[in-house]
Amino acid sequence: MGAQNASKAKRVVGAVLSITCFLLLWQWGTSGTKLGLLMPTPIQVAERFLRSFVDPIGKHSILGHVMFSLSRVIIGYSAAAFCGIALGILMGRYRVVEAIFMPLYEMIRPIPPIAWIPLAILWFGLGEMTKWFLIFLSTFNTITLNVYSGAKSVDPVLLGASKMLGANPLQTMYTIVMPYTVPFIFAGLHTAISVSWATVVAAEMVRSTEGVGWIIINAMEINNMVQVLTGIVAIGMVGYLLAIIMRKVEDVMCRWNKGGK
Amino acid sequence: MQKKQKSLLWLSVLSVLVFLFVWWLVTDGLHLAAPQSLPSPVKVLKTFVQKFYTKAPEGATMLEHIGSSLQVALSGYMIGVVVGVPLGILMAWYENVDVFVRPLFDLLRPIPGIAWIPIMIVLFGIGLLSKAMVIFLSAMIACVVNSYSGIRQTKTVHLWVGQTFGASNFQLLIKIALPTAVPLILTGLRVALAGSWTALVAAELVASTKGLGFMIQQSRGIFRPDIIIAGMIAIGLTGAALTGLLSFLEKALMKGEKW
Repeated sequence: MGAQNASKAKRVVGAVLSITCFLLLWQWGTSGTKLGLLMPTPIQVAERFLRSFVDPIGKHSILGHVMFSLSRVIIGYSAAAFCGIALGILMGRYRVVEAIFMPLYEMIRPIPPIAWIPLAILWFGLGEMTKWFLIFLSTFNTITLNVYSGAKSVDPVLLGASKMLGANPLQTMYTIVMPYTVPFIFAGLHTAISVSWATVVAAEMVRSTEGVGWIIINAMEINNMVQVLTGIVAIGMVGYLLAIIMRKVEDVMCRWNKGGK
Repeated sequence: MQKKQKSLLWLSVLSVLVFLFVWWLVTDGLHLAAPQSLPSPVKVLKTFVQKFYTKAPEGATMLEHIGSSLQVALSGYMIGVVVGVPLGILMAWYENVDVFVRPLFDLLRPIPGIAWIPIMIVLFGIGLLSKAMVIFLSAMIACVVNSYSGIRQTKTVHLWVGQTFGASNFQLLIKIALPTAVPLILTGLRVALAGSWTALVAAELVASTKGLGFMIQQSRGIFRPDIIIAGMIAIGLTGAALTGLLSFLEKALMKGEKW
């Protein structure tokens, strides 16, 4: 226990030290050299970031922009999670479903969701639907693959045992396949949340009127580096929080699984 | 069983054919979709072939676009590998490096590569370098994560054996930990390559004058969805070819799961 505390203290000291070094280097780089003409100092960025909670960037405060982006992510992500889990399980379980959908899925999969942006804009215009569609695609790709490999790898002995004991297909699905795939589902959900956050930023950078991606692209157009970095800080923070939340949810939901290992 | 396999294969073929037929039906067949939003598969195929020898409308042939995209993606990827793999190994092996670098790495990690574009353009100009740096960031992260967990997988017993035979810390790393980590390092290289390709498309959509991302973004402005879809096919095929090549190398280098 003592050793653990010591290494924890070491980690805290290391974190403080490295981040301070980074900030000092940044401060020196921007105020001590010619780079300062191009880049703002960390203090300027921090000040703008804090001020943006009350003083709006464009039409909304930074919280407003984050909310716009988050709501897009949540809608696309939930729809994709639902479809991806269903398709993944069905493809993993039934050879016929696999034979029908796998080739189509394999045709879509190598195309990065971001490459759909121009086509999505042509199809759905500049509104919310475009962003939902893109987030749907990026999440769907990740989750389906994870769930599929999970459902595919169900222990055949368990399946055989359940069949022998007279379980009907629905019972087999609920008592064996679903519980077996849960860890894979959460692994997929976990990866997908980061991917969909990156996708919303990209989609908003290509075309939008609000959201965190807009903060950056708008700042690039008006050549305001403080605003770019403010946007990056916000994107990083939200992305970090989303990942942490998903990890916690995964820990709680899959505790039985981790305990077994 | 053999027969069932075969009928499933037919089902797959049929599914793709039905997909293409429905696509054709809503476009050329019944004219349900406007050609400015969804062109027919025949038109897309024609455009795809045509793009290999015509420069119009955005000023370069398909091969030139692919070449330019590959150049940017691979240069960024190479730097990412050269920096990321050793960094991951060092972080996993030397605790002091980990303690110092990890906080910065965690700070950087949740920020998608595309968000860095404006900064990179200011720092490195609008040429190849700024886009390569964006790709470098995405590639590096995947390399670090995988090499780190690769080295961490080393069995303590193996290290004890090495120590008993008097190996130095450095020898333990080279002779025991590295060979253990190779499979995961290779996985990292593959993940990073796929990530680089995505980052490249994103970077070209936002800021570029050439490349596949540029091509599809320009075609949107002039309502040419056939070029967009042809471009998407090219992006998908090139990406798949890159990962395929890497998997092939991986299989050739490795014997089973071992180095």
